[in-house]
Amino acid sequence: MATASATLRAAAPGRRGMRNLVLAAMFAFGAWAQASGLIGDVLYLWPDIRFLTRQHLLLVGISWGLAIAAGIPLGVLLTRPWMRKYSESVLQVVNTGQTIPTLAVLALAMSILGIGFWPSIFGLWIYSLLPIVRNTYQGILAVPGHLMEAAVGMGMTRRQILWRVELPNSLFVIFAGLRTALAINVGTAPLAFLIGGGGLGELIFTGIALDRTTMMLAGAVPTALLAVILDFLIGQLQFWLVPKGVNPLRLNR
Amino acid sequence: MMHYLNRLLSALAVLVLTVSTASAAITVGGKNFTEQLLMAEMTTQLLEANGFDVDKADGMGSTVLRKAQLNGQVDVYWEYTGTSLVTYNKKSSKGLSAEETVKKVRQLDKKQGLTWLECSDANNTYALAVKEGRSDTEGLETLSDLAQAYNEGRELTMAVNAEFPHREDGLIGLEKMYDFRVPRAQRAPMDSGLTYQALNEDQADIALVFATDGRIEAFDFRVLKDDKGFFPNYALCPVVRTETLEANPGLRAPLEHLASKLDDETMQRLNARVDVDKVAIRKVAEEFLKSEGLI
Repeated sequence: MATASATLRAAAPGRRGMRNLVLAAMFAFGAWAQASGLIGDVLYLWPDIRFLTRQHLLLVGISWGLAIAAGIPLGVLLTRPWMRKYSESVLQVVNTGQTIPTLAVLALAMSILGIGFWPSIFGLWIYSLLPIVRNTYQGILAVPGHLMEAAVGMGMTRRQILWRVELPNSLFVIFAGLRTALAINVGTAPLAFLIGGGGLGELIFTGIALDRTTMMLAGAVPTALLAVILDFLIGQLQFWLVPKGVNPLRLNR
Repeated sequence: MMHYLNRLLSALAVLVLTVSTASAAITVGGKNFTEQLLMAEMTTQLLEANGFDVDKADGMGSTVLRKAQLNGQVDVYWEYTGTSLVTYNKKSSKGLSAEETVKKVRQLDKKQGLTWLECSDANNTYALAVKEGRSDTEGLETLSDLAQAYNEGRELTMAVNAEFPHREDGLIGLEKMYDFRVPRAQRAPMDSGLTYQALNEDQADIALVFATDGRIEAFDFRVLKDDKGFFPNYALCPVVRTETLEANPGLRAPLEHLASKLDDETMQRLNARVDVDKVAIRKVAEEFLKSEGLI
């Protein structure tokens, strides 16, 4: 108590006014939330939010993981000399996957694979593939020629060149692709609800059907938060995992 | 210069006036599943044949559509008595017969500026169904059996549409009356219409169905008996904004004529034409109206 009043006294008049304003705003928000039934609604929906957020993360995690597992090797493969003449055509095919509207991809997945979790994973996987393949491909192609020459001159094998020169030098660009894929994936996953795949889309679409704003927000806000948090996390990974010498973010430090 | 501008403005004003008087079109609404899309299409063709200018706006969720009608954005659509009674008017349907339900809804909605015309004999009630010949749901005949199965902790996945788990005349009330709970992980909400496919392809054990859907028979589903009489009556009726009806009294006759031609079997047959035979909705609507001599 003594410290609290001391802090209060110590605070400049302007800051105290500011703090009172913030307190008043928080109080008003609380009162409004109570009056509009927001708190009750969120409590009612809380088990749903938790369950569906988990499901959403599973959808995103598995489809994105599979896209990495397929996309990076495919991207690397396309840069091999014997594949070069086919690589643009292969990229065009992968590209098509992303030109088709999201909902149509899911509808196609449904007509081939039925409904539920795995068809949704398939649709999201197709959607995440392109940024990963293209960035891997472009990243490796962009490795400076003199580095490659030096590596050959040192007598490195193909495999050594790939692991020690090409991949480390293109890692930053590959990560950028993973980030794009993840952002697209999190934002597209709500549509999985339409083919019975679950996820936070359930709250969004039910909210629209029943015209319940809180329910829509209970789906939309966690989706947005997930996108921001996951992007932040992968940003951190990119920062710390990409070697210092080839990381534009850390070059000047 | 001013002269031209004046002329232009008055020409524009005349144009706007004529357009606004001529565009007193009737907006026909519809929800987002086969029967509703079909009814919206039939109503559109029927009213056009009767000389009305019609805009169609279908594919909405129940609550959104109802709001649109109250706001005047939709003039007419086909509603179910039970939906209006329980979901919109928040009244209990307990012990009400079909006629009493219509009467009560007509009275309640009149105060909101909506007129319920004569109803059809089609009762599109909710029902829960299982697939014949599946061992895990073999012994289930009634909703009481189902409640008991859940209470014994059996893991049965229930495919439902988006609205059902959150409606008082849906899962909320059903769980109360039959005293059971479907655990969150066993509830599988999806787009309306997919529930049939989910049950048929063994992706679910129980599915929410509409009694007038043709796929119940086509896919060999068994409807669980509502032994405690929970689900209200869902008679399919044309509902018009009273204001619109007063301005266009000619709306009543064709709509009631169409309603008189509809019953459970007819709706099942028409819905099956769309969902099972995959015939275009526009075509099914036109064929039916022509065969009944309505257009």
